[in-house]
Amino acid sequence: MTVSRRKTVPVQAPLKVLALVCAALMTSCGGGGEGSAVCSSNCAPPAVAADFLTTEDVQRVIAQAVHEATARNQRATIAVSDRVGNILGVFRMTGARTTFRITSNRGVTGGLENIDVLPDSFAAISKAITGAYLSSNGNAFSTRTASQIVQENFNPREFTQPSGPLYGVQFSQLPCSDLMQPATNGSVGPKASPLGLSADPGGLPLYKGNRLVGGVGVIADGIYGLDPDITDVDQDVDELIAVAATAGFGAPDDIRANRITADGRTFRYVDSESLASAPAQAPAFAALAGTVLSPVKAGVSFGSAASGYRAETGALSAQGAFVLVDNANTNRFPVRAGTDGQMQVNEVTILVAEALKVANRARAQIRRPLGVQAQVTVSIVDSNGEVLAVARTPDAPVFGTDVSLQKARTALLFSHPNTAADISALPPADYIGAGGATVARFRTFPQYISATRQFFGDGTMLANGLAFSNRAVGNLARPFFPDGIGSGEAGPLSTLYANWSPFHLGLQLDLNYNAIVAAAGGSTAIGCTGLSRARNGIQIFPGSVPIYRGSALIGAIGVSGDGIDQDDMVSFLGLANASRALNNSISHAPKPLRADNLEPRGIGTRLRYVQCPQAPFIDSSEQNVCEGL
Amino acid sequence: MTRPPLFPLSYLCLAVLGTLPLPGHAQPAEPAKAAETVPAPLASTATDEIERTRPGSQPLKYELPPIDPRQVEPPTPLVPRQSVSVPDRWRIMDTLGFKFPWYDPYNHNVYKGDKPFEPFAKWGPDWFLALSAISDTLVESRRLPTPVGLQSSERPGAVNLFGRSRQNVFVETLILSAAVLKGNTTFKPPDYEFRFVPAIQVNHARIEEVRGLRIDPREGKVRTDNHVGIQEAFADVHLQNVSDRYDFDSVRVGIQPFQSDFRGFVFQDVPVGIRLFGIRDNNLFQYNLGYFRRMEKDTNSGLNDVSQPVRRDHVLVANVYRQDLPVIGLTTQATIIHNINRESGRDYYDNNGFKVRPAVLGDVRPHNYHVTYFGLSNDGHIDRWNLTSSLYAAFGTDERHPLAQKKQKIRAGFAAAEVSYDFSWLRVRGNALFASGDKDPFDGKATGFDAIFENPQFAGADTSFFIRQAVPLIGGGGVTLSNRNGVLPSLRSSKDQGQSNFVNPGLALVGMGADADLTPQLRLLGNISKLNFINTNVLGVLRNQAPPSTDLGVDISFGAQYRPYMSQNIVLNASAAALLPGKGLKQLYEEDKRGAQYSVLVNLLLTY
Repeated sequence: MTVSRRKTVPVQAPLKVLALVCAALMTSCGGGGEGSAVCSSNCAPPAVAADFLTTEDVQRVIAQAVHEATARNQRATIAVSDRVGNILGVFRMTGARTTFRITSNRGVTGGLENIDVLPDSFAAISKAITGAYLSSNGNAFSTRTASQIVQENFNPREFTQPSGPLYGVQFSQLPCSDLMQPATNGSVGPKASPLGLSADPGGLPLYKGNRLVGGVGVIADGIYGLDPDITDVDQDVDELIAVAATAGFGAPDDIRANRITADGRTFRYVDSESLASAPAQAPAFAALAGTVLSPVKAGVSFGSAASGYRAETGALSAQGAFVLVDNANTNRFPVRAGTDGQMQVNEVTILVAEALKVANRARAQIRRPLGVQAQVTVSIVDSNGEVLAVARTPDAPVFGTDVSLQKARTALLFSHPNTAADISALPPADYIGAGGATVARFRTFPQYISATRQFFGDGTMLANGLAFSNRAVGNLARPFFPDGIGSGEAGPLSTLYANWSPFHLGLQLDLNYNAIVAAAGGSTAIGCTGLSRARNGIQIFPGSVPIYRGSALIGAIGVSGDGIDQDDMVSFLGLANASRALNNSISHAPKPLRADNLEPRGIGTRLRYVQCPQAPFIDSSEQNVCEGL
Repeated sequence: MTRPPLFPLSYLCLAVLGTLPLPGHAQPAEPAKAAETVPAPLASTATDEIERTRPGSQPLKYELPPIDPRQVEPPTPLVPRQSVSVPDRWRIMDTLGFKFPWYDPYNHNVYKGDKPFEPFAKWGPDWFLALSAISDTLVESRRLPTPVGLQSSERPGAVNLFGRSRQNVFVETLILSAAVLKGNTTFKPPDYEFRFVPAIQVNHARIEEVRGLRIDPREGKVRTDNHVGIQEAFADVHLQNVSDRYDFDSVRVGIQPFQSDFRGFVFQDVPVGIRLFGIRDNNLFQYNLGYFRRMEKDTNSGLNDVSQPVRRDHVLVANVYRQDLPVIGLTTQATIIHNINRESGRDYYDNNGFKVRPAVLGDVRPHNYHVTYFGLSNDGHIDRWNLTSSLYAAFGTDERHPLAQKKQKIRAGFAAAEVSYDFSWLRVRGNALFASGDKDPFDGKATGFDAIFENPQFAGADTSFFIRQAVPLIGGGGVTLSNRNGVLPSLRSSKDQGQSNFVNPGLALVGMGADADLTPQLRLLGNISKLNFINTNVLGVLRNQAPPSTDLGVDISFGAQYRPYMSQNIVLNASAAALLPGKGLKQLYEEDKRGAQYSVLVNLLLTY
């Protein structure tokens, strides 16, 4: 099948989608004689020789960074990763700080604030991975982009606007996650990031041609923070050094964050590209003065089995699905029946397929060119939080792998009648601060539960079987309720605004906190929260719904990778369509059970369940497609 | 995000009327000395020859016809009449017994500027007071795309972006006007004029979703607001007469109406400023030189808000009107308008909590711009064909457009024309309008046309849907697709309070309309316009979707105007308008399921 005769041959709608996608990915889409490579619904980027970073590439990236740092009289630590988080090299310039301080500069304490005992490589690696994980062949996002979308308002300081669309995403990709691969496990990804995703400018994706091949992260200023004021133009040394590092590997202009809008607002990519050096004149890697903290090696080609992501060959290949594989090229999360005896294999299969079908039609919110399909990861869990399937579209950003599972588990967790008891039973988060000293915690877990119950005026809340989507959980986990309204009180799962920061969020961080600290100290234990249903932590931005059989909770579906409304739609509509296909054997929560019946503080404070996007499909001009479901 | 259009109709009229001395207003009836109290002799003696002349032509010679002696003798010439000087000729009628109640506006009334106001007599003769009051009542029901509250919805089960979309608005505006004038207003322009026009408004809006009226969803679906705005407060000094036909120069300082062209396409506002204006050559030429700064507007009433600092937005105007150019009956205007906007200083949120400067669009970094409009307009008729047209070119610089994120050259154009023909009681109109659009939001050129503050009286004006209603570009940032009382889809945060935006889709409008004066009391209006965007790339970028079709839709409107006493004192307007969506609109809003956007309104104007 080729797409060149699109105008003369009547093509069905899905094929038009496909054609657009192919154009977007600049692939041959099965053309050019690859007869066996059937591209029935989605196009896998074919592996080509130049789609991974070679050792020379990595050396050049590092040398360019060092060259710029030297020109600025800075001493930096630089990390390079491939698209799936393999660390391809970490280099510390002579004289660089060996530690850094985590701070939002908001003058608050608690959470991760003020921790200053971690090695510089943690910051550099987290920033490199963020650049790689948030980006794709259709969007280039940086850690500055991350900073813009994790704050209490979007845009930051646009008072009264709701929080950043990826509020809470910083606490994903953690080493304690049962989905992320440990660094020791060969080349398969996705590899964990020591500090999760970074919002500190100085992490950028690396491209070869139009293909995302990795990321580079730089720390020179000793501060791991974020940018609270995006209206000015910063000269951030970390970022400037990273910009120099990307010379020759820069993101295509057309897909950079600053060309992509969410509700009319463009994202930030970098503030300044005014270099002090000529990257082309960077010295040879061998001549650099400093320490190689992690040896330089080549990256893997994304989409090859070695990367841990490859095209699905089974039932879901009809949707162009990609799956996660282990070192033996075995699907890590093949579709399976629920461990609780509830969902059957065919139900899970149809659910994943329907979700991917929606994704393949969905209009991308964070990708260029305009009018291409969304790219997401879909995770299904049973009522125990066990993974029943993980599948994705080919170019979905990697961060959404872990996040989609977090989202599924969060919807499950909060909809489960044992939530209150399970969370209350957890040992409290033991905050540390500067020098590793103990810092007072905000709340114990039972206090979060009682605060929530007080908030609703309902002593059964989180044990009464109401259905929470991630969007609804997120409403409760913001420093303002209603979200973004500065005169509002704090949500019961959030810290109070006076002491709030993206490093001191409340319940989400607290659930992970001890595991993050332990992992930083070298622990390889799996399980971030102590909750069996949320072993990779919870996520608090939209994109998941619980799954029911009748009025019984049997699992959840989580989606991540594109705009949050798209993530919502793929999960919500995917489940609705699967329900129809399965004659309601699985379904959405009955409407009376859904969290959007809750209006805890009166008019205008109702929780939201999901929100499907405007102009949702690229093959029709339908609107409001989730109506009535 | 929606804001009801609360710009009162009558205020529009006020703004129109208050502008330039219209052709004919200042036309001198007699030479200057006619104003003096001693009546001039009608003719002197039979031997004096009366020189009869029209200004600018040779004296007419009267040729006596041959006298037929069989006819009666011709009458004797007139002799001078014996006259007595009257100190207050305005009150001659009073002495003859014509007395009218003080409140009667239809006959000589001291409060309506018909007779000098006695308390002012200490300042000298001929000081007048003119008071008026207008009550403008509006009830409007409409359907506009309305988003579901982002962080809190009105009802459970709201799982989409587009919510319930009916809106109801009630607006009562009382416009008071007081003018103090000196001069013999019947015969020449006044020597001084001081005018003060406050407007008092109460408005009430009711919609079906939270967060549409105010940004805080807790404020619900109903909003009642009020405001007292100062719409005019100026002093006008007649500087000099430069000919015996009362060609003059005058200067006006303060809050004053100004209209950039015949139909208000670029700038029609009540800014604060100073304006030098006058006429020449027996009113064949008129000119204006002005410097204005835009006032901050009250968000929900659209009235001037004098409690806030004047905006850092400067307008410099120079224009000249020439009657009977190029043909008799057609007036041509040439204008240069320079707009300097220096509002990059601080973020500005409107009264409802929405950020309006800089607009929520692109990187939302504050920015300045300056733009110069070169315009050529005309208005009048050729034979029996009524014609009005405007042509504008805009050149300038946006120092850092938030979408391009770099400096942009502004290069935009605008053209509009209306032709009409009167068939007895029926006037039939044809309209066409073109506003250029921008094709690449990221390049260094901004080619979408935007005005400074438009109030177009065109294509059905505020009877039509697209011109009257403000429709937010839902999902595309805090901008409106069409401005309230505006025709340009310029993607501003607000016409009243936002900055101009020259990166917009542009518009092509072709339409027809008719006004039918069925009786002296009743007029019916109808209008239909086809609307198209010029280039929708910017809409695609803002919503991150494939650029929608340029087919915007068809705007249909009907209205009736009833004037029971055949005067402007009581006017009842009713109209209905709908925007039948084209493919482009369907790709932006949920028109298929909810039907066309529409508005229905009733408006009662009472004028004293």
